[in-house]
Amino acid sequence: MPSLGFLKKKRTKDSSGSAKDFESPTSPTITKEPSQLSQPRSNPDALSNPATSTTASASAVTSDTNNSTAAQQNTAEPMNTAATPQQQPQTYSSPEASQQQNQPSIQNVINPPNNDSGYRATPARDGDAMQISPPPQVQARVTKGKYSLVDFQIQRTLGTGSFGRVHLVQSKHNQRFYAVKVLKKAQVVKMKQVEHTNDERRMLGRVKHPFLITLWGTFQDSKNLYMVMDFVEGGELFSLLRKSQRFPNPVAKFYAAEVTLALDYLHSMDIIYRDLKPENLLLDRHGHLKITDFGFAKEVPDITWTLCGTPDYLAPEVVASKGYNKSVDWWSLGILIFEMLCGFTPFWDGGSPMKIYENILKGRVKYPPYIHHDALDLLQKLITHDLTQRLGNLHGGSKDVMNHPWFAEVTWERLMKKDIDAPYVPPVRAGVGDASQFDKYPEETEAYGQTGDDPHERLFGDF
Amino acid sequence: MSDLPSDFANELSALTREYLRSLPTDHLQFCANYFQKRLQSQRAEFVLAQQLSSTNAGAMATTNFPGSNPFGSSPSNTAMHALQEEDETDQMTSPTASFPSNYNLNRRTSVSAESLNPTSAQNDNWAPPFHQKTADQWSRLKTAVSGNFLFAPLDDDQSTAVLGALQEKPIPAKDIKVISQGDVGDFFYVVENGSFDIYVNPSGKIASGPDGLGSKVGNVGPGGSFGELALMYNAPRAATVVSTERSTLWALDRVTFRRILMDSAFQRRRMYEGFLEEVPLLTSLTPYERSKIADALETRRYPAGTTIIKEGDVGEAFFILESGDAEVFKRGTEQPVNRYKKGDYFGELALLNDKPRAASVVSKTEVKVATLGKDGFQRLLGPVEGIMRRNDPSKASVESVDPLAS
Repeated sequence: MPSLGFLKKKRTKDSSGSAKDFESPTSPTITKEPSQLSQPRSNPDALSNPATSTTASASAVTSDTNNSTAAQQNTAEPMNTAATPQQQPQTYSSPEASQQQNQPSIQNVINPPNNDSGYRATPARDGDAMQISPPPQVQARVTKGKYSLVDFQIQRTLGTGSFGRVHLVQSKHNQRFYAVKVLKKAQVVKMKQVEHTNDERRMLGRVKHPFLITLWGTFQDSKNLYMVMDFVEGGELFSLLRKSQRFPNPVAKFYAAEVTLALDYLHSMDIIYRDLKPENLLLDRHGHLKITDFGFAKEVPDITWTLCGTPDYLAPEVVASKGYNKSVDWWSLGILIFEMLCGFTPFWDGGSPMKIYENILKGRVKYPPYIHHDALDLLQKLITHDLTQRLGNLHGGSKDVMNHPWFAEVTWERLMKKDIDAPYVPPVRAGVGDASQFDKYPEETEAYGQTGDDPHERLFGDF
Repeated sequence: MSDLPSDFANELSALTREYLRSLPTDHLQFCANYFQKRLQSQRAEFVLAQQLSSTNAGAMATTNFPGSNPFGSSPSNTAMHALQEEDETDQMTSPTASFPSNYNLNRRTSVSAESLNPTSAQNDNWAPPFHQKTADQWSRLKTAVSGNFLFAPLDDDQSTAVLGALQEKPIPAKDIKVISQGDVGDFFYVVENGSFDIYVNPSGKIASGPDGLGSKVGNVGPGGSFGELALMYNAPRAATVVSTERSTLWALDRVTFRRILMDSAFQRRRMYEGFLEEVPLLTSLTPYERSKIADALETRRYPAGTTIIKEGDVGEAFFILESGDAEVFKRGTEQPVNRYKKGDYFGELALLNDKPRAASVVSKTEVKVATLGKDGFQRLLGPVEGIMRRNDPSKASVESVDPLAS
């Protein structure tokens, strides 16, 4: 195996001039006045002053509606750096202002003129705008977040889950593309995931890392919760893996290394992730990873109890309901590396989850012959029941993983700066909402932005 | 519980997925094309696998990865196939693992039980429900769940609590659906008497109409059980179960089951942490370090009369007595020199040095101990010497002294 690491000048970090416009993090809603951009951080209690926030929202709405090109020059901080959304200019905090502004715009943009009472959804084709039309007189009920449904044009579905889906959306203010995760409150409640959902928002709000998805803000209406995140254009690592059958050793190593840095960061903040799998890893346009879906992320300084994750990836102590700690993420990293190298997971068994769990508890792994011996050694130290053997859980922490021979060629500082070229650059056109790398899904048929009774209102105060 | 061949179910769900992806107008043509293609590729794979295995290369050891080597020293676009050769011919583990046939290539759904916090942490007084059973019923239930891995690791207390929580559920007639495929699942059932048929509809859920149940795949009678996945999390039921006569079931719900497990695990853990706080050798551990040790403690059982540590042996592990009694003997004395009871610990000096054990510890009754070896301890927390030095000012490192301090 060649010893490497003398790496040429890389193009993958976000520094080149021409691309910059699309690269730099940009808030989906933008205020025009420069003073307001600096204000949120220096004046954190702006929101507590009703006069200030009303003024801010009024001017924001005006500038947004009339002038989107000027707005594009500005950038804003995602919510995670600003600690709480309250420190951002509150765009629609005044009920009167939002009433006046929301009503016409939501009718114009989300509601096609040919539809009267009902709503319909047509499967999106090639990025066409979704035609989900809300019932008449719909208006997004704005709570605390700085965004609302009227700030976005909803487009096709990028992925679906048990209680919601993710849409490609375009900001009406800066024309940039974002991904909005929509969760049905009733379903969240029915599946008893209220706590996990609130944790998801809280944890995403705390993190800022090159390999983690950025959350810009959240809002809700009477039926749904919305989380505005970056649109990561390259699709899921899952799709690339299935297309490739399996990854060559150095390729698996590259992705595993980026995940390792992200886990190291999360654990340093006492955040346990709990749902590592290729489906939750997105590729950006340069081919670097972003971990998405914080649905089970939680602050866990020591031990936690809830059984959650994805069957193939569950650690034995989770299956056995013993109470477990952050090291379950390192076990899952082992499963992920195995799956990247082999194309399948080690405990899979004929599609029955109970059989998978039995295999996990037995813990016997058959390693295919083509696994590199360094990788084999690392896998055996990650996929182990013995917590005094599992790398990442020991005295050296995540450094033990990073210093493992399999990762010897990885220059971690450069990797962190995205200074190592990704092995695969997704064929996407940057910045134009190119969702070609995402599979297609049947579209939602229920209108977004509904008002009316909300029996679950109290449960999601953070949104 | 038996079910439809998983190969078949997997094919159908793959078809459904493709169907949803393309939403064709001509359903039959689409399905016919799909299976034609599927058949071709499956046969081709089979032939390829045969060829590969006969040439002694690992079957399915191929990759179609379209990119380049991120760690390549030469400029990118190194062919990945060439890379393969270099990387992967230099070792051979036993060629036992190969690509599983019918591996599920679809996206996998996340699963989750409801969030639970240990009772004692909240100070509410939850106690598991208890339903009276005859001695016969107890022993039948014990046998019924003995083969289930969810019940296997339970200790006696947990087992008693769990079996006690099973509630009798009379099924008054035949043709009653106890669980319906596709429904949410919250209960696990053991059959006390009577008989039940199991049906699976290939669509994944029960449908209306005469054949809505799907086809019969099995039957459960007394001592049998079904619905065990519901004890882990709320997943859609994989089958429909219908009574064929008047019957009796025992039912257990997930939240009760999980709370019993969690509460006892939590109490045991608190006990461990309590012990660890008392061991003088370990007083300088941070709560986080204690928690790591508690995570890693391993439970062992010994029958009465077992020598747990032997005087003169090199000590390799320390022990906490979780239940039962033990006695300490020294060579040359007939009578025990000390007695250990629940909560006592011994052998902790093994963490510090390799000196021989100063005494023997023999179980007087059946005992349960929690134990951790010196190696494991050091892997988790680093060298013991460093930990010991923390609360000994005479061993504080020289560099940390303020230059102006006298």
